[in-house]
Amino acid sequence: MSIIINNLSKSYNNKLVLDNLSLTINKGSVFGLLGPNGAGKTTLVSILNQLINKDSGSIEIFGFNIETNSCEIKQISSYIPQTYAFYPNLSAFENLEFFGALYGLKGELLKQQIAYCIETTGLTKFIHAKAGTFSGGVKRRLNIAIGLLNSPKIIYLDEPTVGIDPQSRKYILDVIKNLNKTKETTIVYTSHYMDEIEYLCDEIAILDHKKIILQEKHSFPLKKQSLLKIQLEKSSIQMDVSDSYDEFMAFVANLKQENKKILSLDFLNENSNSLENRFLSLTKEELRD
Amino acid sequence: MFYYILKKEFRLIFRDIHALLVLFLMPAAFILIMSLALKNSYSNTLEVPLKVALTAPETPEINLFLKELSHNAYFEVTLVSKSSLKKLLFEEKYDFALHLDENYKEKINKNDKTFTIQIYSKPDTNKEYLSILKHSIVEVISKNIMKDYFIASKKDASLLGKLDSTVVNTYVYKNNKQETTPTSVQQSVPAWLIFSMFFILIPISNTFVNEKNFGTLARIRSINVSVFPLLTGKILPYFIINQIQVVLMLLMGIFLVPLVGGDALIIQGNYFLIFFVTSCVSIAAICFALFIANISKTTEEATSIGGVINIIFAALGGIMVPKFIMPEFMQQISAYSPMSWGLESLLELFVRGGNFSDISVYLLYLLLFAAVFLLLSYILLKKGRN
Repeated sequence: MSIIINNLSKSYNNKLVLDNLSLTINKGSVFGLLGPNGAGKTTLVSILNQLINKDSGSIEIFGFNIETNSCEIKQISSYIPQTYAFYPNLSAFENLEFFGALYGLKGELLKQQIAYCIETTGLTKFIHAKAGTFSGGVKRRLNIAIGLLNSPKIIYLDEPTVGIDPQSRKYILDVIKNLNKTKETTIVYTSHYMDEIEYLCDEIAILDHKKIILQEKHSFPLKKQSLLKIQLEKSSIQMDVSDSYDEFMAFVANLKQENKKILSLDFLNENSNSLENRFLSLTKEELRD
Repeated sequence: MFYYILKKEFRLIFRDIHALLVLFLMPAAFILIMSLALKNSYSNTLEVPLKVALTAPETPEINLFLKELSHNAYFEVTLVSKSSLKKLLFEEKYDFALHLDENYKEKINKNDKTFTIQIYSKPDTNKEYLSILKHSIVEVISKNIMKDYFIASKKDASLLGKLDSTVVNTYVYKNNKQETTPTSVQQSVPAWLIFSMFFILIPISNTFVNEKNFGTLARIRSINVSVFPLLTGKILPYFIINQIQVVLMLLMGIFLVPLVGGDALIIQGNYFLIFFVTSCVSIAAICFALFIANISKTTEEATSIGGVINIIFAALGGIMVPKFIMPEFMQQISAYSPMSWGLESLLELFVRGGNFSDISVYLLYLLLFAAVFLLLSYILLKKGRN
């Protein structure tokens, strides 16, 4: 196991945020941590990264106790926040140089590690430009590059694809997937994008109302099941368009020949077993603060 | 690692153009302007003498009065024929119009109770200048009457003409070495230097608040690095920037201010003590800035809260208005401003020739001030973890 959490509790100003939470994360897995806003995801990730103190419970990361082996845990972990956690007035290289030095790298090793991070995240073109001038996608890649400097065994990624274009998003997801495959890095990934979780993660947990309400291995349906209800003047027909719309197009052409009209079209159960639908049914659909 | 922390902080400071303008251009401008503006307040003469229109008939007595009043370097006296007061003051730009009776001595000798010497001036006339003019008139008339009396009594009246030069003032310095006279630049340089040192708040809060808001601080804290290099890496660059300010502003007072017509700054105090004072001021300013950056959510909030407090410190501390012209109760309030502790220490060294024992209490206050705000910052940071 890479992370074992037992009976973790945390409260702010007498308000309980995590209540006796227990969770295990396998070594080398990509673990998706889901939950509505205010569910306690950020608090959990902050405790795991020792940014805030827990009230009670125990945490072991790669066999190290978070209280007694704080330094060892920090050496093998990397936290990549949702915000652009770097200096916009410094260039990409200067940012990497600074954070690399904080990780204790120096000399040739620092240079090599910077070169590796730049190459892995595709930042070669941008190394000497000020980070503040980058597009959202490049900023996200720099955010990740900094997190790779210490060759971590475990990376915490907090919504790393918010506000970027589909190309950058795909690139970042591939970088993460590749890291997990080639270096066997354990990834703890929080996101609101269910398709990303489906694409990346081999295990998920849903956190809501201070507790883990679901933890399971990847078992997501890869094929979408979409049932189309076609309302005609005197009858209605249901058609499965999961694989293609060819049959539907042929049906429409036929109706045209027969001079018949379609009154309405409705999808009955688009991907009813999707992660998003399961997430909504587990966490209820009411809006969160 | 420490080298890279310093490198990063210096890069950030030198790329923050607005902060650099506030730290270097603002005090430079203030020193130049205030050294020139206050020049007359510290000297015995005026750059441009005050114009006095004497309205009286041209008689030997009046000419003598005019000649003797003109000896006073503050006034340029002109005998004018009777004219409208408004015309003299508002059109011909005289500062004062003075009407003197041609038989003034006779009336005084006869103890004529109705006799007056009338001075006319604009409502916004400086009361000190009016007072100097009144005393000068009384002095000239008294001397003339005394002279007549001495001559009538067949006594030697020559000393009367030299009386003014027999009254001599000597500045007393604590170290018995100095031969400088207090000038406006001697007040302006330390005052605006200390004011600008406290504005280190701007780059500190810009960096620190952004680190907090962008998650950079959280990221740094998640890395295995101890607080000591981080804290010293934060304090040392700003301390160095403050010392660069000190050197540049002193050089400006010595070389640049005289070039534009002001007096030159003369430093005869102990250089080590000056460095010690500016170090204490710098540490106080940095710790205060760290506290403000800690309690602020945005850089705008930090610069507005910190800026307003700094201006209040300056107004109370004798930076904007020299302390000696403040009323007693304001001088007492002034003793609570950290800028006043810094300014008084530098004035002790620059102007009064003081030594360590004269400034030790101010240095202690500054270091206590720094310790309190550093502790508060630490508590706030610690509170964030819980």
